[in-house]
Amino acid sequence: RETQMESKLETAPRSLEESRQLWHSSEIATADLVSRLGEQLRLILEPTLATKLKGDYKTGKRLNMKRIIPYIASQFRKDKIWLRRTKPSKRQYQIMIAIDDSKSMSESKCVKLAFDSLCLVSKTLTQLESGGLSIVRFGEHTKEVHPFEQQFSNDSGAKAFQWFSFQDTKTDVKRLVAESIKIFERARSFNNSDQWQLEIIISDGICEDHETIQRLVRRARENKIMLVFVVIDGINSSESIMDMSQVTYVPDSFGNMKLQINKYLDSFPFEFYVVLHDISELPEMLSLILRQYFSDLASA
Amino acid sequence: MSEDKSQLKIRFFTREKDESLQVEDNPMYVPITLKRYGLSEIVNHLLENSTPTPFDFLIDGELLRTSLQEYLVKKGLSSETSLNVEYTRAILPPSFLSSF
Ligand SMILES: [Mg+2]
Repeated sequence: RETQMESKLETAPRSLEESRQLWHSSEIATADLVSRLGEQLRLILEPTLATKLKGDYKTGKRLNMKRIIPYIASQFRKDKIWLRRTKPSKRQYQIMIAIDDSKSMSESKCVKLAFDSLCLVSKTLTQLESGGLSIVRFGEHTKEVHPFEQQFSNDSGAKAFQWFSFQDTKTDVKRLVAESIKIFERARSFNNSDQWQLEIIISDGICEDHETIQRLVRRARENKIMLVFVVIDGINSSESIMDMSQVTYVPDSFGNMKLQINKYLDSFPFEFYVVLHDISELPEMLSLILRQYFSDLASA
Repeated sequence: MSEDKSQLKIRFFTREKDESLQVEDNPMYVPITLKRYGLSEIVNHLLENSTPTPFDFLIDGELLRTSLQEYLVKKGLSSETSLNVEYTRAILPPSFLSSF
């Protein structure tokens, strides 16, 4: 049974043809937003990207003064006299997008918004051209469907879409966070530079065992991994995660279990989360939360 | 063996006309191990009843005689579904009620 499950995991549930169409429709839905998110992320991320002027090129931004005399002396043959702004040789940040592939996503009609968000974030990051991108699906199991090592393109987007069927009968966020830490660790070691790592989780936010998740989130933070949780909310109806209650039983002073009803989000294990109702809100929300994170870092 | 921490999204509703028996229909995230007694405790908590009223629970018109978990298994559902749970004032004799 175990091997059957594993092999099922290795076959993408959606055809490439269908995934290409889905990717294309997400591209159309998010085209304007990509530039908006791009601008906002550039403002936030750019200070972390140390670009330098480097020589020697035949064309470029600025003259390399040291090359001028040899240039003239060589009868203008040694014409590599220009400096260019070069991309940093090492990637400065690595961003993982994790999408909830559990059944509750399709039951609450979050699928379209999840696909659009994945398309929006991955296209924007690719345009910024300075980070590694990984795409992960999670539900009962966690699987990296686009690795950091691979250059991202529209084709890789469509291929990543193939892995999503929103049929998993569990939403194991503990496993996701634990697996993510491992993936990030591996990515850090092959890149071996000092960089920050960010994971954006896109989900309906319904997950159990908040206490254990919180411990893992803390461990991620100790590993310098920042987790941002984007909760897709209220697509189905008037129902909202913000009105949802959570039932727990806690021991009183006599050790008897007492019923407690609290707001679900009060124990939500992620420090940085946003509640999204519409794809157009994502650029502002994401930049807001990243800005907050960086100001927290600066004041720490 | 560790205890099953699985939870399930449910919404309570009732056809009782009595205003004092109505709860808000916000979703609730509850342990799937709950049975009639636990559900009754929650509804009474929501109603802020000082003297608890015993309730019966129905899902899709069918009286719940097991835990939510057993119900899901029987119907071939997972905890990823959300259930609309109807409650009515218990009509069964108390001795029978205490058995599930
Ligand atoms: Mg789920």
